Amino acid sequence: MANLLWLQGGACSGNTMSFLNAEEPSACDLVTDFGINVLWHPSLGLELGEGVHKLLRDCVSGEIPLDIFVFEGTVVNAPNGTGNWNRFAGRPMKDWVRELSEAAQFVVAIGDCATWGGIPATAPNPSESSGMQFLKRDRGGALGAGFVSKAGLPAINIPGCPAHPDWVTQILVAVATGRAGDLKLDEFQRPATFFTSFTQTGCTRNMHFAYKVSATEFGQRKGCLFYDLGCRGPMTHSPCNRILWNRQSSKTRAGMPCLGCTEPEFPFFDLMPGTVFKTQTMMGVPKDMPTGVAKTGYIKLTAAAKAAAPAWAEQDIFVV
Amino acid sequence: MGEPAVQTLDISPVGRVEGDLDVRVDIDDGVVVNAWTSAELFRGFEIILRDKDPQAGLVVTPRACGICGASHLTCAAWALDTAWGTTVPRNAILARNLGQLTESLQSLPRHHYGLFMIDYTNKNYAASRYYAEAVKRWTPFTGTNYELGVTISGRPVEIYALLGGQWPHSSYMVPGGVMCAPTLTDVTRAWSILEHFRSNWFEPVWLGCSLERYEQIRSYDDFLAWLEEKPEHANSDLGLYWRMSQDIGLDKYGVGHGKYISWGYLPHEDRYNEPTIEGRNAAVIMKSGVYNGASDSHKLMDQVHTREDVTRAWYDEPGGLHPFDRTTAAISNNDMDPEGKYSWCTAVHHEDNGRLEAGPLARQLVAGGDHGESWQHTDPLVLDMYRRLGGASVALRHFARMHEGVKIYRQIERCLRELRLDDEWYIKPTETDGQGWGATEAIRGALCHWIDVRDGKISNYQIIAPTTWNVGPRADNGERGPIEESLIGTPIADPSDPVEVGHVCRSYDSCLVCTVHAHDAKTGEELARFQTA
Repeated sequence: MANLLWLQGGACSGNTMSFLNAEEPSACDLVTDFGINVLWHPSLGLELGEGVHKLLRDCVSGEIPLDIFVFEGTVVNAPNGTGNWNRFAGRPMKDWVRELSEAAQFVVAIGDCATWGGIPATAPNPSESSGMQFLKRDRGGALGAGFVSKAGLPAINIPGCPAHPDWVTQILVAVATGRAGDLKLDEFQRPATFFTSFTQTGCTRNMHFAYKVSATEFGQRKGCLFYDLGCRGPMTHSPCNRILWNRQSSKTRAGMPCLGCTEPEFPFFDLMPGTVFKTQTMMGVPKDMPTGVAKTGYIKLTAAAKAAAPAWAEQDIFVV
Repeated sequence: MGEPAVQTLDISPVGRVEGDLDVRVDIDDGVVVNAWTSAELFRGFEIILRDKDPQAGLVVTPRACGICGASHLTCAAWALDTAWGTTVPRNAILARNLGQLTESLQSLPRHHYGLFMIDYTNKNYAASRYYAEAVKRWTPFTGTNYELGVTISGRPVEIYALLGGQWPHSSYMVPGGVMCAPTLTDVTRAWSILEHFRSNWFEPVWLGCSLERYEQIRSYDDFLAWLEEKPEHANSDLGLYWRMSQDIGLDKYGVGHGKYISWGYLPHEDRYNEPTIEGRNAAVIMKSGVYNGASDSHKLMDQVHTREDVTRAWYDEPGGLHPFDRTTAAISNNDMDPEGKYSWCTAVHHEDNGRLEAGPLARQLVAGGDHGESWQHTDPLVLDMYRRLGGASVALRHFARMHEGVKIYRQIERCLRELRLDDEWYIKPTETDGQGWGATEAIRGALCHWIDVRDGKISNYQIIAPTTWNVGPRADNGERGPIEESLIGTPIADPSDPVEVGHVCRSYDSCLVCTVHAHDAKTGEELARFQTA
C-alpha cells in the first residue's frame, strides 16, 4: 500500500494521457494489484473544491502519509516570482509543490515540463517556468539543487514529452513493492535503466545510418532521418526504440525525426527560424555529432560508408 | 429562514475537466442563480511561438494539450498549408484524418469512464434504483466497466502510433502531407486493433448490439424503441447511462445559450488537395455550422466572424477583435474579481450571433441541418432529440458525445479502405510568407489556429480552443459564457459536495490546459516590464 498524489502545474496533461495508455501494468492494475492508493489526480479524482483542499492540507501536515508525490507540468513563477499565473485550490501551485515535496517519501517529476521546464520554459519563458530541480541543464529549479525527499532521494526525473507509461509505472511499482533501493539515477536524476542507451538503439533505420543513406524528404520507406531531417536519435538518451510506444512503433520508425525530447535542451535551438526538421550543418557536416564521435572521425567514417553503400539501401525496403 | 438566502460557493478546483477550473456559484434556495467560471493557468504559448520557425507550431501546439494533440497538429498543419499554398496528396489527407479520428475514438471511453461516469457513483444518488449497478460498473479503478473502458481506450491510439510513432505528442503531419508512408502491415494491424475495440467494448459493453443495429436509429422514437427492444440494449452501458440519467434528473438542467458552433472536420481526400481558407467549408465531410435553437435554423460558420472580447479577462486591449488583428496584452495582476476581470480565458463570440457553445452536441445539432453541400454528412438523431426534449441538458450533451462514436469508427474504416499504398504521402512545399488558418473538431469541439508568417518567421499565432468558447467569462455586454449560462438553474443538494456543478462542467468535457494559453500573445517589451515591475 502506497499513497500517491498526482498534481499538474503548467501542464498539458500529456503525461497523464500517456500513463493511461499503460497496459502491463495498466493504471487500474497499479491500484488493484500493487496497492497504489491514488489520493487524488486532476483528471481522475473524485473530490472537488473543499474536499481537495482538506486532502492537500492533510498530506502537508502528515495526517495522511504521502508516499509518492507525482508532479506533471512546470512550476510557474510568474508574475514576478509570485506564481499567481497558476493558482490551484486557492493559492499559487508552487507553494503546494514545495510543501507537498517536503512531506513526501518520494517525489517524481514526470515529463519534460516538471523535469527541465520543457516547452513552456522556451524563450522568452513567459510564465517564468522551471522544473522541480532543474531549469534546462541548470540545477536548482523550484525545490533547489540540494533537495532530497524523506526517503533520501532527490526528485526522480522521468523526462520525455511525454514520458512513456512504462518509464513511469516501473518507478511506481518499484516504490510500492519496496524496491526503491534498486533505483539507479544518473547525473540528471533520471533512472539509468532507461536513459543510458540512445533513441537510436534499436531504430529500424540503423542500416541506413551506417551507410549514410539519407531520407531527404518525408513520406519515404527508406533512409536515415539524421542527415537531412534533423533527427536527434544518435545523441538523445531514451529507450524509444527498445520499449515501443503504444506497443506499436516509435517516431523514428514511423518516419518522424527524433526531437530529443528527453534532453534538457528540448525544444532545441529554441525553435529559431530554419531549425525545425532540418539538420543544422557547417560545411556539410552536422553541427551536433552523434554522442562521443569526433568530427574528423565522422568525416572519415561517412566517406567510407557512402562508398560502401549497397544498391538496396536506396530502394524502398519497408523500414517502417 | 427569513435571512438572505443567497449562498456563494467557491469551488476550486473542479477536477476531472482536464486542467484547473474554478467556479463560483450563487445558490438561492438550493438552486444556482448566478455563476462565474475562471481559468487559472497561463503559459503563454503564443508568446513562445512569436518570431520562431514557421513550422514551430507543429512541435509546440500538440503540446499545448496532451489530450487533443492530434487535433492541434491537424490545425497547425492545415494552417501552414493554407499559408504556403501547398498541394496535399490524397493519402496524406486520409492519414491526417485517421490521426484525428483515432484520437477522438480513444477519448470516448476514456472521458466517459475516467471523467464522467464516476459521478454517478456519488452518494447523492444512493436512492436511485440504478445506484448499485452503477457502483459495480463505474467505481474508479475497480468498477468492472471502468477498468475495461479505461484500459481499452489506449487501443485506438495504437493506430495513431502506426502513423506518427506515438500518441500523444507526435508531429507527423507537415505542410505538404505527412512524414509517414504506412505499409500493408500497418493497415492490416490497424484493422485488427479496430476490430478488437469493437468486439471487446464497443458492441458488447457500450451498445449491447451491433454497430449496424445502432445505425438504424434515426429519431428519438427509434432510440426509445431500441431501448425497449431487448434487455441487452437497456442494460448496456449506453442503456443504463440514459435510464439512470433520467432517474437522477440530469435531463433537467445544464441548458445553456441554445446557440452552437462547429468548424466541421475531416477534409475529403479528393476535395482539399489545394487547400485555401475560403475553400474549406465545401471540402469537409462533416460540415461546419451555426445552429440557433431558438429559431431552429442552421447556417455555415466562417472564421471571419470570430471575435474575442477581453473586458472580463486578464488582458488590456480593445475588445471585438478578429484573432488576426489582436495585439494582445496580458496584465500581471490577476486578482479574481467577479465584478471585473476573473479569467485568463477570453470571451469568444460570433460577430452576429454572440456566445456559442462548442462540442459534440454542437457538432450533432449542426449535422442535423440541411445546409451545406449535398454530399456532406447529415444525421437527424440528436437534433430530433433536442427538439423533442425541449433543448439541451447534461444528459443530452454527453449522449451526443458518445453517439458520435459509431460514426467515428466508420470513418476510420473508410480511411483504411481508401489509402493507396503505392501513391505519394508528401509533396515538398515551397516556404513562403502568408496568412493561414487551420481548423478541426477535437472530440470536445471546435478548434482552430491562425498563423501569420512574415520574413520567414511567425509574426502572430493564435489558437481558439473549444473550451475557449465554452469556459469564457462574461462578454462586454454582460452575456455569460456558455458554461456559466448552463449552470443557471442547477439544483445543489449538498453545498459541501456540489457534484451537480461537476456534472454540468464535465458534460462540456472542458479542457483548461488547452484554453488558457490560447489567446494571449503579448509583446516582448510588455513581458520585460512585468519581470521588472
